[in-house]
Amino acid sequence: MGSRQMTEMLKGTLEGVVLALLRGQPAYGYEITTLLREMGFADIVEGTVYALLIRIEQKGLVDVEKRPSEKGPPRKVYSLNARGEQELAEFWTTWSFLSGQLEQLRRKEG
Amino acid sequence: MFITRMIEEKRRFRRYKERTAQLPSNYRTAVDGFERYLMVFAPNKGSDLQAMLDDLADLFEESAANGTSIREIVGDDPVEFIETFRRNYPIGDWILKEHRRLVRAINLSTENEGDTPAARRTNGSTGEESAS
Repeated sequence: MGSRQMTEMLKGTLEGVVLALLRGQPAYGYEITTLLREMGFADIVEGTVYALLIRIEQKGLVDVEKRPSEKGPPRKVYSLNARGEQELAEFWTTWSFLSGQLEQLRRKEG
Repeated sequence: MFITRMIEEKRRFRRYKERTAQLPSNYRTAVDGFERYLMVFAPNKGSDLQAMLDDLADLFEESAANGTSIREIVGDDPVEFIETFRRNYPIGDWILKEHRRLVRAINLSTENEGDTPAARRTNGSTGEESAS
């Protein structure tokens, strides 16, 4: 897998991926980065995820709760709200369309 | 009022500086680098700039506490990182004004064309969308 290509493609989908991860499972930034790495997105950095969390917070897709942590500053815990659920549903619709079209293209090629 | 706003902004900036001064020195070096970059390049207004700096301070404080390395925070391309980060915040009024001006100019320049892609196609002044 070309990692440059992966980075570029992930850019457009990372928001949806993070919304999906947050569904029914509130998490803080560090946990989300770890989950993404476990999924095989090894090049994901903390800062990218953090910037994305700020964006979805500003768009009102998540609720944020500050929880004290034993070491360091309080952590922001993110959970998907109703608007986030709606956005996620739209994301899957868009994704189905996109992947369907690409699959067709590949079959034509092969 | 302008003066009270200025005092408040100064206070927030001082508080931010106090926070970053507490960071381990390599994290502080990184934050200072981003701070300088944002001061020069961010087309955002003062209070949004401060919001960005405060959020950066949050990130680096938490990362320092977790022992996340600086490369793990910003990746291989710090410019790309900070540019992506910056785009999440409102842009400044003067840039917004230029955006509107550009939109007006293009509207003006396309006044005699139909407004839809289909109309553009039949006009022969096609964009990429009709390439298929």
